[in-house]
Amino acid sequence: MRTVVARQMIAAEVLKLRRNRALMTLSLLLTVGIVILVFGYKAIQHASDASRYAPAGGAHGFGQAVAALGVYFGALSAILIGSEAGTADLSSGVFRDLVATGRSRLALFWVRAPAAIVVTLAFSAVAFALSAVAAFVFAGSLDVPTVGLILRSAGWIALANAVLAMVAVGVGSLTGSRAMTLTGLIGWQTVATNLLLNVSSLGSARDGLLTPALVQLSPVSAARESVTMATGVAVAVIIAWAAVAGLVGAWRTALRDA
Amino acid sequence: MRFISVATDIIETRGLTKRFGEREAVSAVDLNVPRGCAYGFLGHNGAGKTTLIRMLLGLTAPSAGTIRIGGRPLPQERGEVLSRVGAIVEEPHFHSHLTGRENLRVIAAVRGPQAGRRIDGALARVGLSDRAGDRVRTYSQGMRQRLGVARCLLADPELLILDEPMNGLDPAGILELRTMVAELVGEGRTVFLSSHLLDEVEKTCDAAAVIDRGRVIAAGPIGDLLRSDAVELDIGCDDPRLALELLDGHPAVGGAVLTDDGIRVTLVGADGAAAINARLVGAGVSVFRLAPVHESLEARFLQITSRVGDAG
Repeated sequence: MRTVVARQMIAAEVLKLRRNRALMTLSLLLTVGIVILVFGYKAIQHASDASRYAPAGGAHGFGQAVAALGVYFGALSAILIGSEAGTADLSSGVFRDLVATGRSRLALFWVRAPAAIVVTLAFSAVAFALSAVAAFVFAGSLDVPTVGLILRSAGWIALANAVLAMVAVGVGSLTGSRAMTLTGLIGWQTVATNLLLNVSSLGSARDGLLTPALVQLSPVSAARESVTMATGVAVAVIIAWAAVAGLVGAWRTALRDA
Repeated sequence: MRFISVATDIIETRGLTKRFGEREAVSAVDLNVPRGCAYGFLGHNGAGKTTLIRMLLGLTAPSAGTIRIGGRPLPQERGEVLSRVGAIVEEPHFHSHLTGRENLRVIAAVRGPQAGRRIDGALARVGLSDRAGDRVRTYSQGMRQRLGVARCLLADPELLILDEPMNGLDPAGILELRTMVAELVGEGRTVFLSSHLLDEVEKTCDAAAVIDRGRVIAAGPIGDLLRSDAVELDIGCDDPRLALELLDGHPAVGGAVLTDDGIRVTLVGADGAAAINARLVGAGVSVFRLAPVHESLEARFLQITSRVGDAG
């Protein structure tokens, strides 16, 4: 596939996502909305009783926002967008028409991932920028985040959200069902992962979970419950999740009756 | 790029078969569709039309048999072949939250840069330029069908495959589509059109194949399909009962019955009309009409399909 065609196809995938008002609204609420809500609420608390409530910003507030964007609400937004990218053609019935153009099914699958990642990171970037500004504006007497922390946090959020978007694209393309993908992935990330982390008898098998691997690379304290692992193991686990999701999604797309 | 050599049929299948478990949806179909015509693919619902079309487009793999489009084998040269084929399978589907133009952009992106330059022309061609900026969810069934044709035109197709394109259209929409098919054929394209609407195939197509229970049971020009072994004449005259008596035992007459305004005669040979006319006029019967009976495709279809017994 020529570069110009790939670029056009990715742009078309982005178009499909960004013209979905419900998806865009929900993603905005889960990223920018959450940042505004958390900083706003804590700022009001601090303003009402400064002796009892710490300032909303500073390095601490920034760290909380980064954790929320990396493995909580930002992750939900990435899953929403990735699921939509993975299932939109199938659920609308357009997949058949795309296949009938003669374009390789693998090409049809692989352009979904960069599109989902681009849209996901657009929301993450705005929310992150807002968090960084709020960390300084509402710092009060607290230490502000360093430039190094800000840059490492930006990279980590980008990595975490991109990987989750990729996983959602793969699982969505595998199941073909948006509802099933959302339920499965959100249930896995929010409930099943925490349950498994508490099963100590699983030992190092828990290193294979995605969230602990992401948390391991986080420059801030990103989760209350996690397992520690070597950085190399964390990187390998993250790559494996993205790769396996991509491969199963591509495999199903290639073999699915259109 | 012109991928099709003009020497071959545009669609050629040999022994094409599709099985779903034990059930054979398409059975050893040999089909030859000549280029540059409107070709009907006629059959009851569930006869195997859509399954065959899905195989032609690589949407599902055949269980056995070969497919050549424009002389090129599928699936081996699928990408090249389908780049000049436009298709609507079952009904046209779109991203309903996108506008008509945006939906075309999505397909044009997949087809390549030159397809993007055809969007405006395709929209104008199907009369949707004014509504191109509206979301597809606001479109009527007829408008969706026309947008589906516009989507086909992005490929500058040598071959259009339209699966039940008349479904859901009102009479005006059907007329529009029929006109559009004629125009497309006039431009040298081939339109392969499946339908269970016999009347529409008869009016729209130059040739047709009849499929029943997965098997092609008749194929050829519409005129040939309509032609049956028995030739019948409707005779309008002033005294039908006398005419019936006069023709009883006539060597050119295989049978005759009274109708509302005359008699219907089954000829033994194809050239007995003049002899019959001479016999009646010679006996003083005034003949004011002598017309061969044109069988409708519907009647012929019911006659040749194995379900003829279910029709009543």
